[in-house]
Amino acid sequence: MTSRSFFLGLIASFGLAWLLVVVVPFFKMRDLKPIVLKEGVDTVEGATGPENTQFYFPKRTGRIANGAAVYAANGCYLCHTQVIRPTYAGNDTFRSDWAGRKDNGDGVDTRRETNAWDFQYEKFAQIGTTRLGPDFSNLGHRIEDEYAKGSDPARWLYQHLLDPRLEVDRESSKCPSFRYLFDEVKIQGNLPEYAFNYNAKKKTALVPDADAKALVSYLLSLKKDDAVPAVLSFGPKKEAATASAAPAKKN
Amino acid sequence: MSQDTSNTPEKDAILRASIDRSLRHPVMFFFTSAAAWLAVSIFLGLIASAKTHSPTFLSCAGWLSYGRIFPAHVNALVYGWGAQAAFGVMVWLMSRLSRQTCRNSGIILTAGHVWNLAISLGVVGILSGFGTGMPWMEFPSFVWPVLFLCYTAIAVWSVVQFKVRPEGHTYISQWYILGAMVWFPWVFLTANILLHCLPGHPVMAAGINAWYRSALLLLFFVPVGIGAAYYLVPKVTGRAIASYTLAKISFWSLAIIAPWAGMQKLTGAPIPYFLPYLGAAATILIAIPAIVAAVNLLSTASQAGELITNSPTLRFTIAGLIGLLIFGIVCVLLNLPESTLPISQFTLSGYGFDLLGLYGFFSLVMFGAIYFIVPRITRREWLSRRLIKMHFIFSTYGIGFIVLFTIFGGLQQGIAQEQFNSPWEQVAKAAFPYAIGTTFAWCFILFSNVFFFVHLTLMWLRLGRRSSHPTLLIDAHHGSPHGPEGDIDNAGPGTVHVH
Amino acid sequence: MSDPLHKPDLEESINVTETHGRIARQIAAAARENKLGENGNHPIPTWLIAVLVVVGIAAGSVFSNGGNFFSYDSTFRPDYHRKPSPDEAGGKVQPVPAVVAYSKKGEKIFTTVCASCHGADAKGSGNYPPLSGSEWVKGPSERFAMIVLNGLHGPTSSGRTFDAAGMPAQGAGMSPENLAGILTFLRNNKGNAVGDIVTVDMAKAAIATSAKRAKAGQQVDSQELDADHKKDLPGDKLDPNTLVDPATLAPASK
Repeated sequence: MTSRSFFLGLIASFGLAWLLVVVVPFFKMRDLKPIVLKEGVDTVEGATGPENTQFYFPKRTGRIANGAAVYAANGCYLCHTQVIRPTYAGNDTFRSDWAGRKDNGDGVDTRRETNAWDFQYEKFAQIGTTRLGPDFSNLGHRIEDEYAKGSDPARWLYQHLLDPRLEVDRESSKCPSFRYLFDEVKIQGNLPEYAFNYNAKKKTALVPDADAKALVSYLLSLKKDDAVPAVLSFGPKKEAATASAAPAKKN
Repeated sequence: MSQDTSNTPEKDAILRASIDRSLRHPVMFFFTSAAAWLAVSIFLGLIASAKTHSPTFLSCAGWLSYGRIFPAHVNALVYGWGAQAAFGVMVWLMSRLSRQTCRNSGIILTAGHVWNLAISLGVVGILSGFGTGMPWMEFPSFVWPVLFLCYTAIAVWSVVQFKVRPEGHTYISQWYILGAMVWFPWVFLTANILLHCLPGHPVMAAGINAWYRSALLLLFFVPVGIGAAYYLVPKVTGRAIASYTLAKISFWSLAIIAPWAGMQKLTGAPIPYFLPYLGAAATILIAIPAIVAAVNLLSTASQAGELITNSPTLRFTIAGLIGLLIFGIVCVLLNLPESTLPISQFTLSGYGFDLLGLYGFFSLVMFGAIYFIVPRITRREWLSRRLIKMHFIFSTYGIGFIVLFTIFGGLQQGIAQEQFNSPWEQVAKAAFPYAIGTTFAWCFILFSNVFFFVHLTLMWLRLGRRSSHPTLLIDAHHGSPHGPEGDIDNAGPGTVHVH
Repeated sequence: MSDPLHKPDLEESINVTETHGRIARQIAAAARENKLGENGNHPIPTWLIAVLVVVGIAAGSVFSNGGNFFSYDSTFRPDYHRKPSPDEAGGKVQPVPAVVAYSKKGEKIFTTVCASCHGADAKGSGNYPPLSGSEWVKGPSERFAMIVLNGLHGPTSSGRTFDAAGMPAQGAGMSPENLAGILTFLRNNKGNAVGDIVTVDMAKAAIATSAKRAKAGQQVDSQELDADHKKDLPGDKLDPNTLVDPATLAPASK
């Protein structure tokens, strides 16, 4: 083989894959068309678009961009994922509290797979590399409904970040302590709203710093079980009478 | 092998020696600093591994937290050790095979220093909390352009040397090294520009990152390793490569298959549906170039049993090739979408797979290459048989244990994860014993590399043995490796016309 | 190799043998190297081909799972439907006894709508009558339903008038499921234990009856209740322990 044919072969073999697997999907997904909600078929809330059409736009409240940066810089993605895989790729949807809520209070099962619109406002979806800890797609719901039942979710989360092994049933947790995201401040007068480990002798307490606040805001915003339009609704075929009228697909 | 050298064997040896000498500064620098980064990376990896089972270990400061130490470990391993060892070997190998002395050692050396500075800043950046959160690309965003420029300054001369080489046949190793020199910048630039500079969809960004990790391993580290092995095995054994056809197959199958792999790490995520399955199929098919290259080279060396015991180079290279064989098999085992992919996807076995490729194959071959090259560029022989033996034993046992624990443990972890009725506390316990085993194995590897780093530094300090007899692992000469008359050489130059 | 910088420094004045020896020693490592050969032509072993074929088959089976290749627009497998969870029937929430399901629905309405006036314990206070132990709550269901749907003016079952304005209607936009829920809840909780279910069908009948009233749109009073509505709602009775779907209140299919 000549030098010329060698380089041509090299460039062609790599270039084809590069185009089809990297470049084309990158640009195509960049211009992902929003799903236009159909009257009578899709019963979800969306955002208003041009010509007053409604399109699917899951809302997320919280300091997402800042919080995501803290999440990334502190390596949370190394132990936690943020993806609920469809049933052909894993059993994530079967867990009672990962993919959503098995019973959202109205008896409705909101669990669903992750879709392409679940990472709004983030630059890099922290899909995650391993699951040493549980999946975080619906952490916000899990904290509010299960972990911090009855009390302030933010307070519970700050306490957990400070010492993940505090609760009796979490003794074996391998989550690192994020004590370094808290500042030790002198307390004059009343305790600030979120203050922990108050030391009466030194009159100091641990107060979350800006990174901790952004991170907690981000984590509590992780609720990816909102209702989806019919094209993203993959529930098993329902009888015609019931609520979400998914067009009967041939299976 | 060029045919026009009508020189005598002495002149040929003199040419090769002068090529070696011309490169001594940059290559020795690359090797020594790579070994230093390897020690740093292993140390960080050991701490990180300890934290997976004992999270209160060293939990005082932010920069010691698992989420920062682990990326620092991986990036130091990949860019500090892996890339620099690869650069040293690439530059030397291309020079030798193109029969051109290197006239730009100064620039390469400077680029090497800048590379080191950049990754030092990068690692400090990660530990300080400025990591980008993109696996294998956690360096703060100012680092990658510097790395790219350094790479260009290092590699372009080798391409030039190839262009001006004397007429003649191109040897197998040159295909692999040239391939790596073309693939690395293409892959590196693509990933960094698409992820840092252009706005894109967040999930696709994660997909391209997964592709990058796979491509860096399969299209940079693996070809450099195989290329070095294709040089070292025939060189040391003196036998021709078993099958030239298999060599061609192993190269072109790698070139064609590897660029499609990587997206299987994101199976189930909302990217175009076929991409992860294409990635899984491609990763399974990587077994072909891996097994073919390993079989080809192992059968070349198969009759040279005594040499394998004696020569450090050959021992490490053969161990690395066995690692490559296992790597090929594991590629198939971990990526079957209906059975093993869901239980390996988010587990320790991904880390184990990367380590198998990076350490179990690439690093062992690089050690072999370093043991071969350093005496030639420093004109000194290795000081201590024992240091080399310790390095070998602890490295091979260490990586063997790590791969066993992480891959098997990862699969156990995956099976536990899929038991959806099991509370998470139960599931997390599945990984615990394997995490401990992994920490233990890292201790072995740290130990082995302390020997290596010390030995290499002594060579760098010009304290090696002055002798014409190589340091072999078995003492074959009357109790002294220096020959019957000590240091004085009475063996003339070889009488065989060599490359 | 004619680069003068790298030529070994052989000068005439130097003892050639000595220099040669020195150079020979210096290049000894390079000198003892073997020739690089690549032209072996061992045949490719059959077992290797077999191994590669197995690898190829494994990869091929993956391709067949890949759906439509290069269809960039679908991020899910075509024709994907979620597999039902192995321990849940039909992928729905576990069915529960009817009285539990209905009461759960009703409890939500009670805490959000009724408790503000009638008290969280349904014992009332001041201007608001108690529901706990109330005859109109526990008696025939149609009478109870009319009060909830239309509101009440004038004296309650106890004979006392609690508020001049009376109770506002709560029926606007109330679904049959919700009506059935609140009626069943109050009849079986908060101090009452009637032990029957007001089904969705009964609630539908109640809504229809309410709309057909002569004074439709106005509050009922005790006179109208005694005259027209002192009966149970029409419809099949449902055993309180029947298993139903908590969301739709439909009997769980087996």
